[in-house]
Amino acid sequence: MARSASQSSQSASSAATTRPGVMAPRGSAAATAGMRRRRLGGGNTTSSSSAGGGSSGGNNMLRFYTDDAPGLKISPTVVLVMSLCFIGFVTALHVFGKLYRYRSAAGAGA
Amino acid sequence: MGGGFRVLHLVRPFLSFLPEVQTADRKVPFREKVIYTVISLFIFLVCSQLPLYGIHSTTGADPFYWMRVILASNRGTVMELGITPIVTSGLVMQLLAGSKIIEVDNNVREDRALLNGAQKLLGILIAVGEAVAYVLSGMYGSVGQLGVGNAILIILQLFFAGIIVICLDELLQKGYGLGSGISLFIATNICENIIWKAFSPTTINSGRGAEFEGAVIALFHLLITRTDKVRALREAFYRQNLPNVTNLLATVLIFLIVIYFQGFRVVLPVRSKNARGQQGSYPIKLFYTSNMPIILQSALVSNLYFISQLLHRKYSGNFIVNLLGKWKESEYGGGHSIPVGGIAYYITAPSSLADMAANPFHALFYLVFMLSACALFSKTWIEVSGSSARDVAKQLKEQQMVMPGHRESNLQKELNRYIPTAAAFGGMCIGALTVLADFMGAIGSGTGILLAVTIIYQYFETFEKERASELGFFGF
Repeated sequence: MARSASQSSQSASSAATTRPGVMAPRGSAAATAGMRRRRLGGGNTTSSSSAGGGSSGGNNMLRFYTDDAPGLKISPTVVLVMSLCFIGFVTALHVFGKLYRYRSAAGAGA
Repeated sequence: MGGGFRVLHLVRPFLSFLPEVQTADRKVPFREKVIYTVISLFIFLVCSQLPLYGIHSTTGADPFYWMRVILASNRGTVMELGITPIVTSGLVMQLLAGSKIIEVDNNVREDRALLNGAQKLLGILIAVGEAVAYVLSGMYGSVGQLGVGNAILIILQLFFAGIIVICLDELLQKGYGLGSGISLFIATNICENIIWKAFSPTTINSGRGAEFEGAVIALFHLLITRTDKVRALREAFYRQNLPNVTNLLATVLIFLIVIYFQGFRVVLPVRSKNARGQQGSYPIKLFYTSNMPIILQSALVSNLYFISQLLHRKYSGNFIVNLLGKWKESEYGGGHSIPVGGIAYYITAPSSLADMAANPFHALFYLVFMLSACALFSKTWIEVSGSSARDVAKQLKEQQMVMPGHRESNLQKELNRYIPTAAAFGGMCIGALTVLADFMGAIGSGTGILLAVTIIYQYFETFEKERASELGFFGF
């Protein structure tokens, strides 16, 4: 019962500090001003305190782009794959660059 | 901004082109978060080692040397820009919104979306702009040397790297990872630096035979090869041009001190109004604003350095320019200049204890500057970031929490007794620790160490909390 009450208050800090069963001494102490929101899934991103559009969220870790915005939606896997592709692409550029230079040097020599 | 026109609306046409990571529609399990974080970190690390394709040289003066620590960038690699675009655009938008140049109503969903879009767009634009500026200014060799094709390729690489950093940061923030990408990247960069300085196997010939760069490796190497063991030890501990064992020990000491101070807090008891028996606590930490004061302080200083260096190179005779800072090439190479006069000199840490004894005024000025700047930034930050006494009181009230023994209206006054003091004093402590680290010659500058330690500590806390909440879900 207590749990559902604190859950619905939709703030991880109060949830962590007022849930007697879970409350390891460290966990409660760690519920500082900085880390309060966004812990319980994405549901609380709309609360007004987290608005601020970024670093002014009352948070000490620099955070930008926290809210939803319409745009080209991509899934996290795509981001990771995209990054890996980019790395692969640059590596390939290096390899081909080396090959090309080697070839042209050989061509000039012959 | 009267009438219907608002600057923010200019962003709307671009909004649909901006990449946007989906918000997690389920609760991402802890294990998965760790995996996402580790993969992002891996990508970042690879990117910051992978050289840019097509560059000609990276020798010559490096005007950004002083900014590299806080911007997680590596010279000549794909991560040349690091997190500069994100941080700069974030700070600029914050400033614009804070000074009411752009009107944003935080309660309107569309406004927030537009502001975020504007931030991202600005970030991408800054990435492109900086990439073009880097290439045109001849950081990698002149455009004639590079060829137009390569120049465009370099710009494209930097641009994509910028987008990837933005996406990774967003990915971590949207609830797939732990903490924020920016903090993660800064901390990793600094830790990498420290590990490298301690264990680097590269040898450098400094005139007395080859010496290892890494402090620990050099210690063993000197102990084994030299016949006079005492001299060898002294050499390993006090060599000036390369990282020595004293620096390493200083780093470890600072690390421990900061961790120790992180535990200092005032715990205010709070009690829920509607659910009886629910006791809680609201801890106010000594480091209330954590590492924000030093981030802001170093942003200020590095910008000042950058401007001063540029001016000094162009107009070195001018009185005002010299007042701002005089620069000289560093004796130990590395392609960066060090300040030798003017304001820039006085806000730079003395390089050693001997230097401090020789110029006590410099040391004193530096100390006063650091302490006051950190305290001031810390106090400003609580107002800007919405963690001042008023905001905290409002939050507690929203959660129906009261302090036992105080009336509800008194809550803010009670919080006001602690929060501004904690902020100012905590900022000063952070400043003092930075100064201490600098004086002891900790590896990677005091600012860097402090940033790294506070970020790591935040991560540690997040970890604990994640684990606790995970237990909460399954334990009940």
